[in-house]
Amino acid sequence: MTANNPTHPSRDERLSLIDHLAQWINWPRFIFAVTLAFFLTSILFPFYWMVSSSFKTYAEIGGREPVYIPGALRPEAYLELFDFWNFGANIVNSLKIAIPTAIIAVILSTLGAYAVARLNFKGKSVMLNGILIVYLFPGILLIIPLFAMVSRIGASIGFEVQDNLSVLILTYLAQTLPVALYMLANYFRTIPAEIEQAGLIDGCSRLSVIWRITLPLAIPALISVGIYTFMIAWNEFLYALVFLNSRDLFTMPIKINTIFNDPSPRPHVVMAASTIMTLPVVTLFLALERFLEEGLTAGGVKG
Amino acid sequence: MTASAKGSQLSFSRRWNSLEAREARLAWMLILPTAVIVFGLILFPAIFSVWISFRDVGLKNLNDVFQAPFVGLGNYRAVVNDFAFKWQGRQSWGAAVNSIVYSFSSTILTMVVGLIASLLLNRPFRARGLARAIFLFPYVAPIVSIAFVWRWILDPRPSGVLNDILMKLSLIELPKAYLATRGLALVLVIIFTAWRYFPFAMLMILARLQAIDKTMYEAADVDGANTWHKFLYITIPELRYVLGSIFLLRLIWTFNKFDDIYLLTGGGFGTNVLPVLTYQFSFGSFNFGKGAANAMILLIILVAFLLIYVSTVMRSVED
Repeated sequence: MTANNPTHPSRDERLSLIDHLAQWINWPRFIFAVTLAFFLTSILFPFYWMVSSSFKTYAEIGGREPVYIPGALRPEAYLELFDFWNFGANIVNSLKIAIPTAIIAVILSTLGAYAVARLNFKGKSVMLNGILIVYLFPGILLIIPLFAMVSRIGASIGFEVQDNLSVLILTYLAQTLPVALYMLANYFRTIPAEIEQAGLIDGCSRLSVIWRITLPLAIPALISVGIYTFMIAWNEFLYALVFLNSRDLFTMPIKINTIFNDPSPRPHVVMAASTIMTLPVVTLFLALERFLEEGLTAGGVKG
Repeated sequence: MTASAKGSQLSFSRRWNSLEAREARLAWMLILPTAVIVFGLILFPAIFSVWISFRDVGLKNLNDVFQAPFVGLGNYRAVVNDFAFKWQGRQSWGAAVNSIVYSFSSTILTMVVGLIASLLLNRPFRARGLARAIFLFPYVAPIVSIAFVWRWILDPRPSGVLNDILMKLSLIELPKAYLATRGLALVLVIIFTAWRYFPFAMLMILARLQAIDKTMYEAADVDGANTWHKFLYITIPELRYVLGSIFLLRLIWTFNKFDDIYLLTGGGFGTNVLPVLTYQFSFGSFNFGKGAANAMILLIILVAFLLIYVSTVMRSVED
């Protein structure tokens, strides 16, 4: 056919492509492809809508019909966010909370996890169960007594309870340490004890064995615990909502909530702020997915 | 000093200095900071919360909370009789019933979606690693951004994107106020919860799926079983334990969850749940005693469910 009709050389190819497709396709494959497409669209569309809305102008966002693709990458919303809403300060506040939380959580949970994984002591199982009971308690149940306790302590030693970032760091630590401990203890158990025993026989003390042998081997786990706790502190909403009153100290989630509830709706600004808040988390996650997945199942983001 | 006292002293110091004892002391020192923070900021407040729920605590006596007057079951009575809490017929379910309906249906939906997603990702295909990472996005992205994107997608104006799509497809004639319509709002909140948390179920199921012995499927092939039979008689029984634990964990977390509903609907339009109601009692009307009583009721329902679950489901699984 191709030889007889040299003017349409592509026809045969097309036919064979359809043939090929017809051979390849069957019901399971078809259902598989459709379901996968459905999942990908419903997951990615909200993220696309967030990023694209953040580049729309006020006219585009407030029009009678939604604009599916913004006319240009205009940073109007971002300028308003930083100039008018002073969002830079909120980013700094979130970092000021999330970074110390992550660092302290890694240090404390390393110590605790080592004890749980390698050392024997009385009351270990009671302590572990007690720490895991944390899963059962709703955050909302704890916030009333915490609020009362902290204001009582604050009144007697004279420091501000509300608007105190260190109170938030402490509560985030309490929420993340159990899972961090659990993740790290699991990892330490995978390091052969013989390596440490060799160090002990050579005359190192326990602490120097931890420092020189165990920790260098556990770096991937330490990174994932650090990022996991960072993400929890970065995303947390309820405790920040209750404990922060002054606009200067708002973390990003609370500030975004404030902008959203502003009497004049500014969806593009809210979406710009959400994009700024989401991007680092999703990028970090994509880059380190392999390390992080275990943490997601081990304790869940307790979401 | 008698010989026996000297002996016991010696054995004490030997015990004190023995390797085991030193290790135990080191262990306690290592775990102490974590234990202090967790017990001080979680277990103690939890117990303190019981105490508050029997007292009249408001903004006025918050600084003097230990002297708060005892009111017996007054707070509990106030909660149970509150219109936001109690069942008042099919038009207004109240937060208690809402909470139960919301947590059970969204947990089941989360598991179904997670199961489908894990079956998808269990098949080899090109770019599976990337697809797997994308599937986790809803779970890792901050709840505030996610909730507000969904509110923006579900915007009630004609310019809302879902309204626009559905009107162009002629599925609806007039724009809908999705999150401000009774019934529909609850359904959407359930769907949102499944959308956000299915990756957790997916990861756990996926790990289990990859551990299933392949020879069982081969044996089934020899016996002439079709895909559906293999799924029903091999995959599902193999997943039983993991499905049971996902159900339990997700149910506890969903029942306790505050952010999702607070950010999506603020608890309005028939979507109020116990955690949001607790917040409203405590930080809306500043009645901390009533809030604590509400939170205790939440915990009691949860513990009651756990006891039933452990005594019935777990036992039947063991048999």
